[in-house]
Amino acid sequence: MKRLLDILKGKWLRHPLHPILAHVPMAMWPGAFIFDLLSFCNIGGNAMVRLSFYAIAFGLAASLLAMPTGLVDWTGIKKEKPAWKIGLYHLALNVIVVTLFAINLGLRVPDFRNASIVPPVPLTLSILGTAILVVSAYLGGRMTYHYGISVARMSKDQWREIARAGGANLPPE
Amino acid sequence: MKSLEPEVPIFHRSKIDMKDFLEGKPLQHPLHPMLVHFPIGLFLLSFLLDFGSLLFPSVPDLVRDSFYAMLLGTITALLAAVPGFVDYTDIRSDHPGKRTATAHLLLNLMVVVIYGINLGVRSPSLADSKISSGPLILSLIGVGLLSASGYLGGKLVYDQGIAVGRHKRRMPTPQNTLRLTAPIAGADNIFVPVMAAQQLRERETLRVELDGQVLAIARIDNQFYAFQEFCTHRFGPLSEGRFDGFDVQCPWHNSCFDVRTGRVTQGPAKVDLKTLKMETREGKIGVLLQRHL
Repeated sequence: MKRLLDILKGKWLRHPLHPILAHVPMAMWPGAFIFDLLSFCNIGGNAMVRLSFYAIAFGLAASLLAMPTGLVDWTGIKKEKPAWKIGLYHLALNVIVVTLFAINLGLRVPDFRNASIVPPVPLTLSILGTAILVVSAYLGGRMTYHYGISVARMSKDQWREIARAGGANLPPE
Repeated sequence: MKSLEPEVPIFHRSKIDMKDFLEGKPLQHPLHPMLVHFPIGLFLLSFLLDFGSLLFPSVPDLVRDSFYAMLLGTITALLAAVPGFVDYTDIRSDHPGKRTATAHLLLNLMVVVIYGINLGVRSPSLADSKISSGPLILSLIGVGLLSASGYLGGKLVYDQGIAVGRHKRRMPTPQNTLRLTAPIAGADNIFVPVMAAQQLRERETLRVELDGQVLAIARIDNQFYAFQEFCTHRFGPLSEGRFDGFDVQCPWHNSCFDVRTGRVTQGPAKVDLKTLKMETREGKIGVLLQRHL
């Protein structure tokens, strides 16, 4: 069990995995929304409708991998920290976003090879999904850049050595 | 005591300068890491579609779809480069992350050039059902270099703490470390003048290495304070911290210390900072170094 958790935390790569995997849905779903809009500009026949479909599918596949890694990172945060609550919102919003894009993809399956524009319901789902994703991703970024979650987690021994060499007071090991 | 009022958050100020904007301070989130999702995701998608065209030649137009994904990837890569470069210039010249950042920058330039060539090479044959080997190899190289570069970008944040907590700080951060040597003569309480302290503005800092000891020197309410550079939690850079009254806040995990005494005023840090006394002698500001013989 501990080995599985270490794998999910990215210790083998010396880099947290969730922020890496999150790049894919974070790019694919707003991308799908842009492709949807471009489909109305009649670019590349129905290329934009197809691209949007592929983008949503690729995003879904990666988000299934991103979920367990995110969950593991989140359970590592103490419950009384402000970042825990932000993580909870981030998680809840992501579940909504994944659900919306899964429905979105399902609705597109019958027609994506032929349609020249994206029908209104999938388009609405793309808009909604992207809007919620942007909020959720911002919260995820806040966890890193404001609260320092996963920052200096794997490099703390190197930093400790630098601080020791610089004559600093140090915490007990 | 005007300077001891809480800092006005940057997004409440009427005028925001361009550098602050590109560093994402009004948004309280750096811009470069937000924008890089797009080239990374889109270049990967384009690579998958290339591969798909080889595996499923009966599926029409995958080559064309890959081209459009790559085109949008290249456009967003150029967009991400702008705040990325600003972030790069803001890293202290002797920071261990500076070299990582240089490698990241050079790799990204190569990636953009390779994708530019790739777009040009494949543009005449978008109607093909299978991608030809030239553009495919370029995609492979592109994705390989991009992965390496993305990994380094992640190292910059998660190992080296670059851009973490930077939006909390209002004043510019030190651009280098000032190296000083104490006079050899004398026993206790050696006075070491720090000439550069004279130019410090309120809540600005110096990063000083004095005989191997690394210090942050800050000016607060017209007084000067010297304390250890490294936070006692995960050793974040206090010379890049945010000041609130006499407290310095670590940019990484928000530990706070009173710069007058070094005491922890907010965790996660538990151990107090080492502080040094500062004095003015004959008009010069300096640090009093305790030498234990």
